This record gives sequence, C-alpha cells and structure tokens, in this order.
Amino acid sequence: MIFLGMGAGLIGALLGTTVLAVIYLYWLKPPPQRVVVPSTLLWNRLLKEKKRNTFIDRLRWWLSLMLALTIGLSVAAGIGRPELSSPGQGIRNITVVIDNSATMATFTAAGFTRWERAVAHAGRFLRQGSASGKFLILDTSGQAPPGEPGDRRAALEVLAGLTVSLGGVPEFPDLPEVESEVFFISDGVMVDGAPPEAALISVFEPAHNVGITAFEIEALPSEPTRYNAFVQIKNASPVTEQVTLRLSGSDNEGIRDTLTLQTGETRAHLIDLSGFGRGPVRAVVTADSDAFSADDYAYGFLPVRTQTRVALITPGSLYLENVLADQPKLSLEVIRPAQYNALVSADVYIFDRFAPPQAPRGPALLFLPPDAAWLTPTLSVVEVPDAPGWNPAHPVLRFVALEDLRIDRAARIAAPPFFADAPGDGAATQIVVGNRALPLVLVSDREDRIVRVSFALEDSNFPLQPSFPIFLANALGWLMDEQVALARVPGRVEVPLPRAVVTDLEGNDIVAWPLSDRTVFLAEQPGLYTVAGEGYSRLRVAVNLASTERSSVNDSELASGEITAAASTVLAGAEPGPNDELWIVLLLLALVLVVAEWITYHRRLTI
Amino acid sequence: MSEKGTLFDDEFLKKLEYLNLVSNHMIPGHMHGEHRAKKKTDSGIEFADYRQYVSGEDTKNVDWRTYLRLDKLILRLFEEEADLPIYIFFDASGSMEYGAPVKFDYARKIAAALCYVGLLNQDRVNLVGFADGIAHELSARRGKHQVWHAFRFLEEAEPHGATAMEKAFKAFFSSRRRRGLVVVVSDFLDEQGFSRAFDMLRYFKQDLFAVHIHTPEEAHPDLPDEVLLEDAELGTSQRVRVTPALLEAYAEQFEEHCEEVGGYCRKNGWGYLRTTTDVPFEDLILQVFRQGRFLK
Repeated sequence: MIFLGMGAGLIGALLGTTVLAVIYLYWLKPPPQRVVVPSTLLWNRLLKEKKRNTFIDRLRWWLSLMLALTIGLSVAAGIGRPELSSPGQGIRNITVVIDNSATMATFTAAGFTRWERAVAHAGRFLRQGSASGKFLILDTSGQAPPGEPGDRRAALEVLAGLTVSLGGVPEFPDLPEVESEVFFISDGVMVDGAPPEAALISVFEPAHNVGITAFEIEALPSEPTRYNAFVQIKNASPVTEQVTLRLSGSDNEGIRDTLTLQTGETRAHLIDLSGFGRGPVRAVVTADSDAFSADDYAYGFLPVRTQTRVALITPGSLYLENVLADQPKLSLEVIRPAQYNALVSADVYIFDRFAPPQAPRGPALLFLPPDAAWLTPTLSVVEVPDAPGWNPAHPVLRFVALEDLRIDRAARIAAPPFFADAPGDGAATQIVVGNRALPLVLVSDREDRIVRVSFALEDSNFPLQPSFPIFLANALGWLMDEQVALARVPGRVEVPLPRAVVTDLEGNDIVAWPLSDRTVFLAEQPGLYTVAGEGYSRLRVAVNLASTERSSVNDSELASGEITAAASTVLAGAEPGPNDELWIVLLLLALVLVVAEWITYHRRLTI
Repeated sequence: MSEKGTLFDDEFLKKLEYLNLVSNHMIPGHMHGEHRAKKKTDSGIEFADYRQYVSGEDTKNVDWRTYLRLDKLILRLFEEEADLPIYIFFDASGSMEYGAPVKFDYARKIAAALCYVGLLNQDRVNLVGFADGIAHELSARRGKHQVWHAFRFLEEAEPHGATAMEKAFKAFFSSRRRRGLVVVVSDFLDEQGFSRAFDMLRYFKQDLFAVHIHTPEEAHPDLPDEVLLEDAELGTSQRVRVTPALLEAYAEQFEEHCEEVGGYCRKNGWGYLRTTTDVPFEDLILQVFRQGRFLK
C-alpha cells in the first residue's frame, strides 16, 4: 500500500500516533463513581463466580481494543489517501506522452474531443501502474514540467493541468533516461517522431472541418488608404462542403458569401473593405458540420478612417494642396497662418513653415516649423544636406524611396528631445537622417503624434518624387494611429512594448508580464488584443489560428482507435477497481465498525 | 438517615389503633394473656388427660373413682393457659441505614407495631436491637402502659456495625429464656450467614417469624458502568465493571438469597414475610396478622 496524500514518514507517524492514542485512552480509566450499598456480601459472592470468566472478559477487552484500533487506523490511513499495489504486478514505471497540439481539439462522433479521449486514456494508464511505480506525464507543447518520474498523484495533477495548445510547434518531448514504459497518445496529425519503443494509442477519428487558413488586412500599395482583406479557406472534410463566409466590422452589417468547396480544396478570397469603418474585422466560416471550431474565425484590424479631416495651415503650397486634394476619404481645409487660431478643429494638422504659439489639439505634420515655445528650437541652417539614411520599416516611410531626394537647405535642431517642454516624454525618433547626423524627418510617439520635417518642400525636390503622396498618406495614417494589427498565432505572444497592458476585444484584462523591452502574454484563443504601452504607444495583435496544417484535422496516418500491441496488453490487463478510492472504503469500514462498537457497547458485549 | 423523634407521631399511633382493632376483628373471642400455649398441669380448670400417680405427689387430683374401679392411682391433669413471651429482634446494623425510607426506620415501625399489639394483648414483649451482638435491649414488658416505654426505646436506637445474628441470639438466649415467639425484622445480610443463627433458634426451641426487609434498589440496582461499591457495614470497597449481564446475575443472586431465607423458614414451619420499604408498614402488619402466627 502506498499513500498519495502524505509522505511515508508522515503517514507512519500518523498511524503510530493513532495507535498510541487509542491504547492510551484505553488505559486511561476515569475514577469510578463511589456508590454505598447495604452490603457487598452478595456482590462479592457474585464476583467470585464471575472470576471464572476472566479469560472471556479479557478476550472482550482485547476485542474492544482491536475494534478501536481498527477504527482509528482506518480513519488515519484514509486521510493519507492510500492505494493498494496490485498483487502479482511488478514495479512498473509509466511515462505517458500526450499530444496536445491544436487538432486534438477536434470533436469526435461521440461528442468528446480527441483531447478528452486522450486524457481518459492517460488517466487509465496512470491508474493501472503499480502503486509503488514512478509516473511521468509529458506533452507535445511543453506545458508539462520536465523532470524525473514521480508518484502517481503528481502525474495525475500534471495531467489535470494540461490543455490543448492551439499555437506553437508541437513536437515529441525528450524522454528522461530512466527505465519506463512509454505510451504516446495522439491523433497523428501534427506530431511525429515518436521513438519506436513508445506504445502508440490513437485517438484519431475522421472529422468534418472547414477553416480559415489565412486572414490578413493590407493596404493597397498604390492606394495606401484603401484596404483589402485576404481570406483563405480550406475544406479539410472528407466530403464536399457548402461554406458560408461572413466578414463583419464594428459599424456595418458585413459581407456574406457562400461557396462550395471540394474535399481538400483551398480557396482564397480578396475582399474590398471600403465599406468598413475603422476597427476590428471578424471573419467567420460556417459549414453544415464542423468538428474543429478554433479555425472557424479570424480577426484583423482595419486602421483607416472613413473620413479624415485635415487642416492645412500654409502660406501657400500647391504641392501639398494638390496631393491632399487627391487623397480619398479626406476632407481638407486650407487655412492661412494669420487665420489660424486654437479653435480650429481637425483630425490632423499640417503646418507648412508655420508653428502656432501652443501645440495643436491633435496630431500634426510640420514642414520646417519656425521656433515656437512647444518645439525644440532651431540651432542652425545647413546648406545642401544629403539624405543617406532612412528607416523603411517605420510606417511613415513604408513604400517610400528617398534615393533621389535633393534638399537645398534644412534646419538643424537639437534632437532629441523633440519638445522643449517635455524632455522626458517627447523623445523623438529620427527616421530620415542627413549627413553629419542631421535629422531631416523626426517622429514623436506622444498621445498626439508629431512628424517634423526639417526642410521646406519648396527647398527640395521631395514634392516631385513619386513617393511624396505615399509619404503623405503614410504620415497621415501613422498620425491617425492607422496601423494594421500584428499577426500572431495562439499561445505565447510577444509584443515589442515594455510593461504594456493587454486587453481583449471585450476590454477584459489579459495577464501579461514584462520580458526585457517586450511584453509577453498568453493568447489561448483566437481574438484581437490591444496592447497599451507606457506613454501613448499602442499596438493591436490579431491572434488567429490561420494554419493549413492545423485545419487539416484528417491528415493522419493513424487508423481510428488504433492501439499498438504493447498498449493493448496493458489495457487488457487493467484491473478496474477502487484503487484510488480506497480511502472511501476505509472510512466506510471505520463507520461500520463504529456502529458495531456502539451496538456491542450498548449491549455490554465488549465491556 | 433514620428519623429521630418523629418516628412515632400521631399518624403512626392512629394506624396502630386501627391495627389493634383489625387484629381483634380478625381473631374473634380470643383472650388476652391466655392464647399462647397450653400446658398440662395439676392446676387449672379444663380437664386434659390422665397419668400415673408417682409417689410423693400431691394427692388432691387423684381420681378416686378410677382407683376404686381399677385399683390404680391415677392423677387427673388440667390444661393451664400460659402466656408465651414475644421476642422482637430488629436489625440495627449499618446495612439497615440505607434506602428511602431508611430500612431501619421501617424495621422500627414494624417492631413498634408488633410490640404495641403484643402489649395490648397482655403478652410479655422483649425488644432487642442487634448488630454484631446485642446492641439495644428492652427487657420483657407487659401491659398497655408499657407502650410509651417501648416507643422511646425504639426511637433512641441507632444502627451501627456489622451483622452477626448468631452471636446476638446466642447472647440473648443463653440466659434462661422461656420458649416463645421470636420475631426477627432484618435484611438478613449477615456475613456469617443467617442459617447458623436460625439453627441457634431451633436449638433453643423458639418459634420464629421472619420479616425480611429490603429496598427496591437492592433487588434491582441502577449503577453506572464503572463503580466503586462501598459496604455500609464494613466500610470495604469493591471496584466493579457493571454490565447488564452482571446486574441480571446480581438480581438473580438477590432473589436466591431471599428464597434461601424464606425456604429455611418454611422448612421449619416458621413464618416468613418479605417486603420492600415502599410498601406501607400497616399493610405489612396486616399481612403478618393474616399469616396467623402472631395472633392465635
């Protein structure tokens, strides 16, 4: 017998204490009550006769003591969660590797998932091992802590804590170098590489599934403010499926499309999102029968606004006016510097060779601003600078080529900091740098973003470059925080923001922890997550399964319910019984004995 | 504790009067002082028998007519009514100071009642309290006027010590005592056994009437599981683990003891009456009368 609830030393001490306590209580006789009787003549005569029954009396006393000891030991042993070793079985060490890759979440015809069947199998294997054997649970997603085999209780606890991991790259784990029987429970879809000594138990069963294998929202290179959704759908079912695709946004009824997909067919769709407003976009596919739901929906974020109000404050710039006038979904108001006041309202402000005394109440694009109290002052003017370096990864410079940029003169400013009044908060990033470290274009990621160009358009050939409208569109998009969501798969997600707060689509906080200059959180289900960093930086993360491999739930070489010979031998030798429920039996025994003791006491059989 | 001073109150005396009336009614026409025993003597009125004349005897009762017919000297004998004494022994040992009401009080009331009836019947009544010998003794009395004397004696008696009936009887009857009726009121819990004491009475040719008193609890005690039994007479104690079986065995033992006493009496033609202290004493006295041994 082994004890799951306590260590051997502790259970030994408990049992010993119980025995001592019971014996002590038996020896501890309370002082008898004194009763005066007229004469003890008859009592003495009677007790003299009774003395002939001393042996039976002693037997009764011992019987009572044994009863009390059995009751006490039953209760004490029951507390220790005992388990009997199966007679005739040698000590067996059992290692169970359980596949918890995404496809294990597929439902079977019986209504259980492959994962639930796998857990049931694993539990049976653990319970069938010898009580004094060692047990280890491992999984293909690295959730189970690596280590040496331990007791059954620990293994069962680990098993109870495992879940299907939708993301990551599942792989067969490294086995500890101890002699152990290895069982691998899998559907055979995503994990292979099991060692030959592992007895394989298949929980595979063909299932219907139609899933989204790709989902992306991207701007058109030729028209940066226009976005399309790329959706790829796969029919992984063994039959042809009628599939309904629905795309819905935050402020419209969405798009609905029905298509017929043959077995194994993958079809891509490009959907114009012009009718969608800024915000989350959700794609959902439905079919008549679908056993794997995790790939039925995908999320994205449409960054562009339907209509952006731009205030252009300029003494006169045909380049800017013309290019902005050609931008779609943009409402332009041109204001002379003399007419500008703090009451002017717009989504984005563009100051051309002008800067108001106070910072505007929104994001701003500035071209060679004069000195103002809220801006870093100009140090000098640099003649004919080059632009040898720029950061094409920055959203403002995406698709922008500056090789042919020529500038007559540019202002040198003290950078960083960007703002005179906020040295800590207003750190600027140089995204275009001239020779001798001359900052030509700087961006600031404050609550109201700023893009500062340190030369005038008239002093350069920038307005004549093909990339100028793209720059303007990018700059407006970035200023409006118009960026598509980061694409990630379920599981551990890292975002390049330190000490950020993560919320899901419903605004619920998600547990996240900092990791160097990044933030890490666990996205167990597909969804759209918002990551807000310190200051005003913000990112959106679209976590989608979107994987052809994960949607191919029938891509297995295993037969349905296949069990290798070794495993079937173990299963056949299973002894269903209340091994791990022995404590209940012990407590019931104690209860029965207490009742027996009560009856015998009241009938004075044991005293 | 036994009662003092209030044992023989007015209520008790009324009951005694009632018992006396009942005793007269139960035995109609009986004569005071003459009903106990008949002795064939040369005095008296009622002819009883003849016997051979022995030389030297008084010739006044010689039947001369018979002499003339048979030529033999024959004496005529007459029955002489003799009043036989009553010896009332009441147990004054420690074991009698037990129960509610106390057995000793109950025994004294019985002794008082029998004494009262005896004195009113002009019998000679002796009152003896015994324990491990004679503890209290009131010499023979006769006549109604001795009642108060007897009551005072009973009231002043106190229970104490162990029981030794044989010793008490031996001490009492060793000095010359006339044959009479011995009434013993006791619980008969004698370490030496009652039979030797009774044998002693047989030896002295006394007639016995035994009144066996015990409390209901004595017959069926209600004791806790573990008990230290203390002997009221000897002061010794005995640790007993009480079980229903033991209590049952004790009850049987007690019955056996009572049966032993009663059986001995019946075997010897003696009177025996067993009672518990919850029976009103007057009812007990009536039972004594009904047995016919006290009143003849």
